[in-house]
Amino acid sequence: MRIGLPLIVARGASKGSTLLAIGLICIVFLPVIPGLVRMGFDFFQISHWFAIWQDTQTIPALMATLSSTLISGVLALALSLSIAIEKYPSNAWHSIVKRLPSLLAMPHAAFAIGFAFLFAPAGWLARAIAPLMAWDSPPDWLTVQDPYGMSLGIALAIKESFFLLWVMMNLLGERHIAQQITVARSLGYQRQQIWRSIILPQILPRMMWPFAAVLAYSLSVVDMALILGPTTPPTFAVLVWQWLSDPDPQRQAQGGVAALILLLVLLTLGGVLRGVAWVYQRATVDLDGLRQPNRFSMLSWLYQFGVLISFSLMILLFVWSLAQSWFFPALWPDELSIKAWLNADFTPFKTSLWLGLATSLIALVMVLIWLEWGPQRNNAWLYAPLVLPVIPLSAAQYFALLVLHLDGTVMGLIWSHLLWVVPYVLLSLVGAYRQFDPRLMLTAQALGYPRWQACLYMKWPLLMRPILGAFALGFAVSIAQYVPTLFAGAGRFSTVTTEAIALSSGGNRRTMAIQAVLLMLLPMLAFALAAIASHWQAKHRRGLR
Amino acid sequence: MLEIKSLCIKQSKQALIGGLNAQIAQGEVLTLMGASGSGKSTVLHWMIGALDPIFSATGELILNGKRVDQIPTEQRRIGILFQDDLLFAHLSVGQNLAFALPNEVKGQSLRRQVIEAQLAQIGLIGFYDRDPATLSGGQRARVSVLRTLLAQPQALLLDEPFGKLDAVLREQFRAFVFERVTALAIPTLLVTHDIADIPPQGRVLQIEDFQHA
Amino acid sequence: MNQLLPILMAFSLSATVMANTDWNKIEADAKGQTVYFNAWGGGENINAYIDWAATQTQKKYGVSVKHVKVTDTSDVIKRIKTEVAAGRTTNGSVDVLWVNGENFKALKQAKLLYGPWAESLPNWRFVDLNKPVRVDFSEPTDGLEMPWGTAQLTFIANQATVKNPPRSAQALLAFAKANAGQVSYPKPPDFHGTTFLKQLLLELAPDAKVLQQALSPELFTKASAPLWAYLDQLHPVLWRKGSSFPKSAADMNQMLADGQLKLALTFNPNEAANLIATQQLPKTAYSFGFSKGTIGNVHFLAIPSNAKAKAGAQVFANFLLSPEAQAKKADLKIWGDPSVLALDKIPAQYRQSMQMTAPGALNEKIPTLAEPHSSWVAAIEAEWLKRYGAK
Repeated sequence: MRIGLPLIVARGASKGSTLLAIGLICIVFLPVIPGLVRMGFDFFQISHWFAIWQDTQTIPALMATLSSTLISGVLALALSLSIAIEKYPSNAWHSIVKRLPSLLAMPHAAFAIGFAFLFAPAGWLARAIAPLMAWDSPPDWLTVQDPYGMSLGIALAIKESFFLLWVMMNLLGERHIAQQITVARSLGYQRQQIWRSIILPQILPRMMWPFAAVLAYSLSVVDMALILGPTTPPTFAVLVWQWLSDPDPQRQAQGGVAALILLLVLLTLGGVLRGVAWVYQRATVDLDGLRQPNRFSMLSWLYQFGVLISFSLMILLFVWSLAQSWFFPALWPDELSIKAWLNADFTPFKTSLWLGLATSLIALVMVLIWLEWGPQRNNAWLYAPLVLPVIPLSAAQYFALLVLHLDGTVMGLIWSHLLWVVPYVLLSLVGAYRQFDPRLMLTAQALGYPRWQACLYMKWPLLMRPILGAFALGFAVSIAQYVPTLFAGAGRFSTVTTEAIALSSGGNRRTMAIQAVLLMLLPMLAFALAAIASHWQAKHRRGLR
Repeated sequence: MLEIKSLCIKQSKQALIGGLNAQIAQGEVLTLMGASGSGKSTVLHWMIGALDPIFSATGELILNGKRVDQIPTEQRRIGILFQDDLLFAHLSVGQNLAFALPNEVKGQSLRRQVIEAQLAQIGLIGFYDRDPATLSGGQRARVSVLRTLLAQPQALLLDEPFGKLDAVLREQFRAFVFERVTALAIPTLLVTHDIADIPPQGRVLQIEDFQHA
Repeated sequence: MNQLLPILMAFSLSATVMANTDWNKIEADAKGQTVYFNAWGGGENINAYIDWAATQTQKKYGVSVKHVKVTDTSDVIKRIKTEVAAGRTTNGSVDVLWVNGENFKALKQAKLLYGPWAESLPNWRFVDLNKPVRVDFSEPTDGLEMPWGTAQLTFIANQATVKNPPRSAQALLAFAKANAGQVSYPKPPDFHGTTFLKQLLLELAPDAKVLQQALSPELFTKASAPLWAYLDQLHPVLWRKGSSFPKSAADMNQMLADGQLKLALTFNPNEAANLIATQQLPKTAYSFGFSKGTIGNVHFLAIPSNAKAKAGAQVFANFLLSPEAQAKKADLKIWGDPSVLALDKIPAQYRQSMQMTAPGALNEKIPTLAEPHSSWVAAIEAEWLKRYGAK
């Protein structure tokens, strides 16, 4: 889309550079296909289906997965929509939006650990009310690991509501939306009615894919499910993952089939979603001209409550990492000490750091080359990893790495992360890149610069802010990878994510809290550095702000 | 001398422009007139080498006896000036100009001297380290022209370059551009929809004459 | 006999000399190798100990050891199998692994183990051969794995809440009924959870001897029936009525510390002492066992047949078997894992830390029961999962 600009295409893309762009991207995507095909063959073997059906865990696991996914999807949408309806546009909206980056940067695994610290029967909330209830042992709460996956669903919903709100913020940032609201208000309509009849019909269709991404994520999440999900049986994604890691080849094949079932469930949910969207778009908006007053809405309070929970659990993680002995029902640790920090194992931190840097840097180079020289149309397939379940993709990657003898190598590990980092970097950069005034490029070329030089000296420096943002996002995505790190890394690489999850199965809460804090800090650090760097670049150049 | 030979531009088999021939002598400013959406900018994009792929073109563009329509933009040595100044926001005024200065001018201090001197000529003494965003519209427009000309183009394309300036500034700026073009003695094509932009005694082509019914 | 002795001596001497030259070659080959040690990584103190051993091995022998932290050893078995199936018979990703029981058996049966090597290690001479170091869950080790430490199933309780702990399976059931919702065990196939089931099985089976034999369907049905009857009674009074289980033994320690559970279990008689020292358990915690005995076993190190750094792996293993490393491992302040060496064979300076005790550690003499034959494990786990895995 070249909005409002004359039709100009800076050319000079030779066939060679286009091939390079396509080739680089193919390295990331193509090797996944043979593994998927192999799983596809297993898919048509009735014996695997029989084995899955025979397993008493299958049905309850699927139910838990479905309920946590639906709770997560519906609640996240409701929370984010309600707060947007309630507050956009207003000053309060700005402060809400300002808090989004740190909430988004918080990795899911750290969020889950903090959530458990807060809500588990021996968690902080129970401790806070223990004196009132005269408890001396933790209550028999089902607040985490309940059999229906509700706590998992709620935690996911809070976390994903930030993502959906961020998507909405970008859509609402488009000028004509704000102007339309002004026009509608001048016609005497109130906020909620304006949203219902004017804004929602415009932005909801455009939120379909982000919403599908939320569903796909919730459906196949393993790290959060290990901490907050049910255990007897676990969620279907965890079950599939256990099968895939079973020593028995039959079980592995069964796991591959089950991974494809996960994909089928997602496609079904996607179909339902389309159906709902179809009905919604055809439902007549009531345009009888009656000006309706705003109604009181509880949901926007719930969103604010979610924000409160998120910030409290961040603080709680810090406190736990410093706590010496802290048994129920003590509200505060007996003693705070940095001893555990001094003895902490920073190897996972270092691994995460170099892995994240290398992956996001490679992804950035690939994406820049792709955006500049790759095909301009029909690129939607690049986003497929964002709306597909992680497990089948990751298992297919592992298959390719095994055949190439690259499992457990640095190269294999970085490659496995690229499948998710590249789409995210692309997604975050594509808007700014496509909106870049093509006449600037033409001007530089007319001044005698070949295209790659014009990019290097002019276009990419001018796009430094979105590029740094995309880099930080890629880093954060790499940091958070759990299943791919375990599969492709052959268990050899422990990152802050894998370490935090490994420790969450017991062991020392202090040590786990330290890893969770490190996990939380890394992406925040990346985003902060990106912001500082672009601020520094723009310090003497008003045109970049 | 800049020469367009039997240019035809089609959009999915439908002819847009047909049989356009033109010759522009050294130091001459030829004006291509037409309403917005008439295709005059498309001609310009073909000349600079940035035609949208939805169009296809036949014809030749010859600059000083050399055919240039097949070579990349950066090798054509044709300068272009748009309605907006398009100064690069991450560079200072001087760096913007240095971006255009040919490689032959060697040495950091010499390059800076040359640019300082040029800035002085357009009344912007001491502007080398300024942030382009802090300049007035008229100043920015002049820097933009200077940048285009510093690259020593052998022909110049002007795409409604006066469109965004207010009336007073516009008059001054127009004179500034024509004066410099004449001094350099290069062929120039001016694309506009405003009769007032046509230089005195300048030749005019109407794009409508080449549009197929 | 008297005449034979010198000959035998001479023979063993020359064997030692030969072994020494062989060993010198192994040490030389090992120099510069990187050994990937796949070992459970959920214990902070254990990780720290492995870290120490890795540093020592680097310093002393120039072998670099990388600890690959494993959550479940069966993942490693799977990886070795997958690698070999994919044709990677050398250059595998695992050099040494911490293993015992059914995982050892699986590797041994599939001929995926390198060796025999364990009994030709120089430090083998210190090993206490009175301990079951040559069988692993009734399966002969055949020198394919090296004993690393010993373990005994031990229960932990808190003096503040439990004065008289249950000392038999039946007493445990009564205790659980009296303290409904405050007893549980890790969900099998967690190692400790499965061991707990085996402990019950040993005590409840009509004839415990059959458990030492390889599994057959009739044997299993007959021997395990009392176990399922027992669990059917136990589960309704478990924590969350058996609909949910602690994730691991370590998780149970946390729950014990918070008062959520009244009992925790461990395989290390010294663990409670260790946790008290690091303020992860209250000072009133103590260890106890069943009066008729609890399951004890030995844990081992093995080298896969496709390991890349086999020499380095043996050098590292030999170091772990040295009196120095074993004494450090037995030290309550370090790990507290009981040694496999014989006290009378090692230099006096290392004996003290091996005999150390501390508040909270198992202070009573509990008979050691042998592990059932490893073929029982999979059957018990599968049956358990079928009966209780989806509640």
